[in-house]
Amino acid sequence: MANAFVAAFEILSFGAIIVLIVLGLGIIASMMGIFNFAQGEFVLLGAYITYLAYAKGLPIWTGMVAAPFLVGALGFVLEALIIRRFYAAPIVAMLGTYALGLIIRESVRGLIGGFYLTVPEPIGGSIDIGTMHISAWRFTIIVVTLLVMAGCYLLLSRTSFGLRMRATLENPSLARASGISTPLMYGATFAFGSALAGLAGALIVPVFSLYADLGIRFLIQGFVAVMVGGVGSFIGPVAGAGVIGTLSAALPWVMAPVVADVLVFVLAIAFIKFRPQGLIAGKGV
Amino acid sequence: MPKSMGAVKQVIPAEIDGETDLAMDSHGTAGKAASVRKVLPMVEGVVLVAALVAPLALQDYLTVFATRVIILALFALSFDLVWGYAGIMSFGQALFFGSAGYGVALLARDFDITNVFLVLPAGTLIGLIFALLLGGFLLLGRHPSSVIFVSLGTLTGSYAADRLARGWYYLGGQNGIPSIAPMTSGGYEFSEGPAFYYLVLGILVVVYLLCRFLVRSQFGLALAGLRENEQRIAFFGYKAQHLKAIIFAIGGAIAGLAGSLYAFHEGFVWPNMVGVVVSTQVVLYVLFGGSGTLIGAVIGTVIVEGVSFWLSDNYRDVWPIILGLLLLLVILFRPLGLISFVLGERERVGSFGASIKGKQNGAP
Repeated sequence: MANAFVAAFEILSFGAIIVLIVLGLGIIASMMGIFNFAQGEFVLLGAYITYLAYAKGLPIWTGMVAAPFLVGALGFVLEALIIRRFYAAPIVAMLGTYALGLIIRESVRGLIGGFYLTVPEPIGGSIDIGTMHISAWRFTIIVVTLLVMAGCYLLLSRTSFGLRMRATLENPSLARASGISTPLMYGATFAFGSALAGLAGALIVPVFSLYADLGIRFLIQGFVAVMVGGVGSFIGPVAGAGVIGTLSAALPWVMAPVVADVLVFVLAIAFIKFRPQGLIAGKGV
Repeated sequence: MPKSMGAVKQVIPAEIDGETDLAMDSHGTAGKAASVRKVLPMVEGVVLVAALVAPLALQDYLTVFATRVIILALFALSFDLVWGYAGIMSFGQALFFGSAGYGVALLARDFDITNVFLVLPAGTLIGLIFALLLGGFLLLGRHPSSVIFVSLGTLTGSYAADRLARGWYYLGGQNGIPSIAPMTSGGYEFSEGPAFYYLVLGILVVVYLLCRFLVRSQFGLALAGLRENEQRIAFFGYKAQHLKAIIFAIGGAIAGLAGSLYAFHEGFVWPNMVGVVVSTQVVLYVLFGGSGTLIGAVIGTVIVEGVSFWLSDNYRDVWPIILGLLLLLVILFRPLGLISFVLGERERVGSFGASIKGKQNGAP
């Protein structure tokens, strides 16, 4: 019983981490049609900013609050300077964002060296439920993920900003004719997606510690999750992330980790092959 | 998929996006184009001569390095065929390179088979089979697969293979398979040095000529059409998906050949060789040099590897950043790669019909 509970918590917490990372990736992929290869590096930057705050002796949470804003601002600038040129050609966008990611990753590698730097959890210790102990920080991540998910959903479905964003996605020329500044909306969407990646990086750095390839680790899992969930909506990628995150955390409990690792990818690709529209088809929120 | 890349479009006067203007433009520059027609064979000749004399001018350790570059150029050729000609974005080309490397390493380790006439065909076959399996799965089917799906599918395949190689004890796990016995032919052992260099160079030249023949054949023309406008090629009656699967398999076979040479040259294989790192590296080579020209892939490999070798003493940390910046600049401003500085659009496309002209934007 206790073991099952711990396993369930582990699976849930890893699922939450994947969802958190995929949120930004999914919004950019769904709303803009761009598979952003630099997303992993935005996660890395969020983690790095948190580490910097810690290294400078500031409370860790200041870094965690600052990370989404700084990474979001960077995303906005990069969109205006570079990403904007890629909208017509998705493959070129992949290559271009890959180059961007390479620059960011290697710069961070130059700054931190080849080390694994640990950042302590702002909320340490464990929560005791009877005889079982679960990590307080991982629990916090689950809660924050749920809040952010709900927030994003409300932002996209209930606010005028979300409406304009979706209008721009659905029919750019009509949106422009209706007085919506589509370049600004694209910039804002990209910045929003990057900010979410920054937040994800800031939150997970105490769990995974900081190293230059932190983002890469999640990038491909994130892409697969977006494809499984279905590009075009907000809910799709999130659902995909839930499935992929849960599967990759759960399968190692029942089979050899190596096999589980590969099996998740094989299953996912096979699934996408036979259901290209993903779990949740169609546009919308 | 950029639709307006340089092109084997037949110019129909009523075409959209102002192709009539372009067609007239090409008549205007026809005289000039004719005078620069022979750039490509010249570039190819210069590269070949440079490659032939290189071991005479280089010190031993540089010859070893040059051998590695030639092998990687062979690998780049395989990616260029798939992406530069057929427009299939394979982010997992290392899967075929690395699995062939692992395959021949296992042959050498467990079966003592090192004969060059056995291991190279075996490696090629492994690459071919893997490419047939993956390509068949990703590219064939009732509905044509989207370019995004194919690129992410190949990327995922390569990543999964990397994870598998890392975790599988039989393949040596993280450390890979060290100290592979040298390749042999009868009693002769190919160790690093001029002999190995010329062997690899010979293979590269043969494969290059085969590819050159292939892309200039009717098949190659159909491939280029596929890259430009897949739907139109399908309407012409070609089985577009089959063409793609065939070229993907050929690319995989060449990558397999390169991978088996690489394994014997380096003397070890390790998980990165099947993984994303090497997969993206080959994308870099080809984009730098110029995709859609075979020699561009070779030149790109030589430049990227050469500069990185040269800088690695002093600027090891900064080089990847510079590489990223350069790549970004090339993608933004020189989508046809460095070769496009000397090679005109008209010659890159080749002359298949009477009047051919494409715009020079978008990247293949």
